[in-house]
Amino acid sequence: MALFAELRRRNVFKVALLYAVASWLVLWFIDHTGEVLGLPGATELFLILLLLIGAPVALCFAWTYEITPSGLRKAADVEQTQSIVYKTGQKLNAAVAVLLVLGVLAVAGEGLLPKFEFLVPGIPQGDAPASEKTPAEIRSLTLANGLKIIVWPDHDIPNVVMYNYVRAGGRNEHPGITGLSHFFEHMMFLGTENLAPGEFDRTMEAAGGANNAYTSNDITAYLDWFPRSALDVIFEIEADRFENLQTYAESVEDERKVVFSERRSSIDDNNFRKLYEQMRATAFVAHPYQFPVIGWPSDIEAWTEQDFAGYYRTYYAPNNRTIIFTGDVTPVEIFELADEHFAAIPAQDPPPPVRTIEPEQQGVRRIIVEADAQTPMLHLAFHAGAATAPETQPLNLLLNILVGGESSRLHRMLVENEQLVIDVGGFQDEGFDPGLAYFYLTLPPGGDPALVERRMLEELQRVATEGVTAAELAKARNIVLADFWRGLATIDGKASALGQFEVYLGDYERLFDLPADVEAITIDELRDAAAQVFRVSNMTVGLLRAPQETEE
Amino acid sequence: MTGLRRWSAALLLLFSAGVLAQGVTLPEVTRVELDNGVVLVLLEKPDVPLIGVEASIRGGAITDPEGRGGMADLLAGLLEKGAGERSAAEFAEAVDSVGGTLSASAGLESITISGEFLARDADLMIELLVDMLRSPTLDDQEVQKLRDRSIDLLRAAKDTNLRLLTPVYGNGFLFDDHLYGNPVFGSEASLAQISPSDVRGYYQDYFGGDRLVISIAGEFESVAMLAKLHAAFSDWPAATAPLPTIAAPEPVTGRRVLLVDKPGAAQSYFWIGNVGVSRSFESRAELNIANSIFGEQFTSMLMDELRTRSGLTYGARSSLVRHSMGGSLAILSYTKTESTVEAIDLALSLLAKLRAEGIADERITSGKNYILGQFAPRLETAEQLAGLFATLETYGLDETYINNYGDAVAGAGGEAINAVIKAVYPEPDNLVFAIIGDAELIREHVAKYGSITEIAITEPRFRP
Repeated sequence: MALFAELRRRNVFKVALLYAVASWLVLWFIDHTGEVLGLPGATELFLILLLLIGAPVALCFAWTYEITPSGLRKAADVEQTQSIVYKTGQKLNAAVAVLLVLGVLAVAGEGLLPKFEFLVPGIPQGDAPASEKTPAEIRSLTLANGLKIIVWPDHDIPNVVMYNYVRAGGRNEHPGITGLSHFFEHMMFLGTENLAPGEFDRTMEAAGGANNAYTSNDITAYLDWFPRSALDVIFEIEADRFENLQTYAESVEDERKVVFSERRSSIDDNNFRKLYEQMRATAFVAHPYQFPVIGWPSDIEAWTEQDFAGYYRTYYAPNNRTIIFTGDVTPVEIFELADEHFAAIPAQDPPPPVRTIEPEQQGVRRIIVEADAQTPMLHLAFHAGAATAPETQPLNLLLNILVGGESSRLHRMLVENEQLVIDVGGFQDEGFDPGLAYFYLTLPPGGDPALVERRMLEELQRVATEGVTAAELAKARNIVLADFWRGLATIDGKASALGQFEVYLGDYERLFDLPADVEAITIDELRDAAAQVFRVSNMTVGLLRAPQETEE
Repeated sequence: MTGLRRWSAALLLLFSAGVLAQGVTLPEVTRVELDNGVVLVLLEKPDVPLIGVEASIRGGAITDPEGRGGMADLLAGLLEKGAGERSAAEFAEAVDSVGGTLSASAGLESITISGEFLARDADLMIELLVDMLRSPTLDDQEVQKLRDRSIDLLRAAKDTNLRLLTPVYGNGFLFDDHLYGNPVFGSEASLAQISPSDVRGYYQDYFGGDRLVISIAGEFESVAMLAKLHAAFSDWPAATAPLPTIAAPEPVTGRRVLLVDKPGAAQSYFWIGNVGVSRSFESRAELNIANSIFGEQFTSMLMDELRTRSGLTYGARSSLVRHSMGGSLAILSYTKTESTVEAIDLALSLLAKLRAEGIADERITSGKNYILGQFAPRLETAEQLAGLFATLETYGLDETYINNYGDAVAGAGGEAINAVIKAVYPEPDNLVFAIIGDAELIREHVAKYGSITEIAITEPRFRP
């Protein structure tokens, strides 16, 4: 107790308190202004260590020395009666109070004043949305090299999603390099000048992240899902592979085999995809949408290193990409990291435009694919519009009415009532160039494909002349609206939705027009779209069935 | 304050072993058990105007009557084909007209109905859910139609999706007469045996309040929702048929091979496994870490060797299937016909290596981070949470199953993990193989793995 009293008399506790408050204030100040002052990132850590070391020193000092009217003297040498430790104590109290007030003001002000980050030169804030319908917290920014970045913060879970879109896909290929875009998607995991093959995935997973990628006729997308704590690592390895990709000959040869295995299981041993591949190759005679995304077998075997190098430089350039971030991040921290990691990657000349326009189809085309099959399949494809075409949204609603769910017209008619097929579905390409509206039907063993085709055409032509009912249109709108909300329930769905609208329609904000756009579409527009697309002379029909001994 | 986080991250790096623990703590829910045994779990989650619901009836394919495999799944499908006052067409119209989803399917130990819809449509969608459970129509025509279509859809799957079929053949062959061997979808032959009156009898026997869990999450008022569900289910009597008692399945000793002939197949698809663990296996965290590293992550041992280093396949994984009294553990992959034996031998050597050498500490840290980093997004939406709470109730687990999991993963030690590997992963001498491929080309070569039982893929069943 005597020690305690003496500690108290010598103001050691007050010095400790003052030291703690002052340390906190210093660190707070450095944390908020370090970037403005241009201090290196390690300054904070260095200061913490310094202040930790300083603490015992300060306390020993307070114990040993005492302030007297004649200056600083050793406490042991000061007569108790002449000691002014009490006054010094009062001064210390005042100092703590002043610092505390300063601290409270600073912290309170932080919420009221614009953030200091605003003052940091070189870190842009990004553009706020133009439309009132767009969530106000979204920001977008285009770097000087043309790379556009969109950030939608959502702090519900401590995770982040990154979608990296490259405008390169099957449409950028030609005979000899079909499937190259898809193969390149595999190559992007196979090593850089800095990371050996396999290290990209190992680094990502060790930081808690997972990834995937896909390639379509139009684009290649790289997707990362990771905890917030992995943000720096992700930026580092993503920037690295988009700048320093290296082709390791041995890995490339192994990866060719991997892609072949993918082709075998997803096309050669899959009757649906086997027919689909032949359908596209038939429906398009000129446009590169005729190529299978995975590539023709002979091309998979034949790509060369030169093919890769030119492709990487042109298509993977920052001006040909768009990146979406959603989740537990702030736009400013993303733009700061992007500035650090992506800004130095040089822009390139834009890729050559896809010039070929598919000529108007002059009459129905028919194919038969023979395969080991218990259940025959019938596919119908019609040339339709690009993502931006005016008929695309009405046609989407129409497809919902025709094949969306158990209550849809074609399901009720063909599966439930007439039992001619066991499954019917459909979709529409929504790409950069005009694509296909597509129906697929699976028949029971021994089913009658000619009858199914006739019933399909009758129904499609009925829609083209009579249109749909108001109730059907209302139902389709509700399905689209509910899908819209379901899509926005996860950070992954948010990233995907923003990306689709930004990449295919040129403006992510159009996503938020969707509910109003869908409300505005009329029955007449649906009928007109049907009349324009569902014409026999615009159709390709494919039948997959088991080989037959006698051809009809 | 981003700075504070940065400091803590820096300090964490100074003091921790490198595991960035991020467990998930479940939100508080309202749980009510009615007098007749119905359990209701409610969670208000008003961030998006959506509601997710999952109803679960304990039972499932283990209650399929003898020779009527696929009964539970067929009944699940029929719940949507007319209920209450609505015909099949009217029911589908009601769900689709509001853009909702409400679909039922069977698992081995339960039938579940999952739904997601806009909050504004809650009254309608709950009414439909109640009708599905309490007053499905099950009329003759709909039963026959769905039964015949289900048979043809199994045939179609055999034409298009071999990757998905190996576990059906594999588990059937492994569990043999044990109820866990029941293929959930039944088979072409067993479905054909089911009559409309069989289905109605099964519903009477196996549906009732004592087996029902309803879990609902999203934008709604708990008090009103509770009152609605209480009114709908508090008078539902118990089911009359008892649930079967399941014995823990015994691991298979020795080796046996089921060869499923698919003439002209470009690749061979294989499943290699044995009996694994139950859902309540106490070293779950250790086992999950081991399995993630052995065969779930992209950089797993199986993917590294079978895909990245050798190009033998596009995909290879190790799968844990966990039921209440046991489960299976299997390696799955596929490769072109000519490299069938090379790929299987490689997979077996990796299994032997895993058992002999265990997993190194550095790899374990990576596996832990991967599991923890991917944990939160699995419980992000109302629908996911509703599904989780229903599963916990159905298997008699509580919230610690999730809440303690993060710490258990972060704290799992290398020795414990390697002990679990020895205890759970089968010895290479005791394995069951199911291989789909061109039998004429591979029969001779795969004979070295054990005595072969062969069936054609067109046989209307999954078990020999």
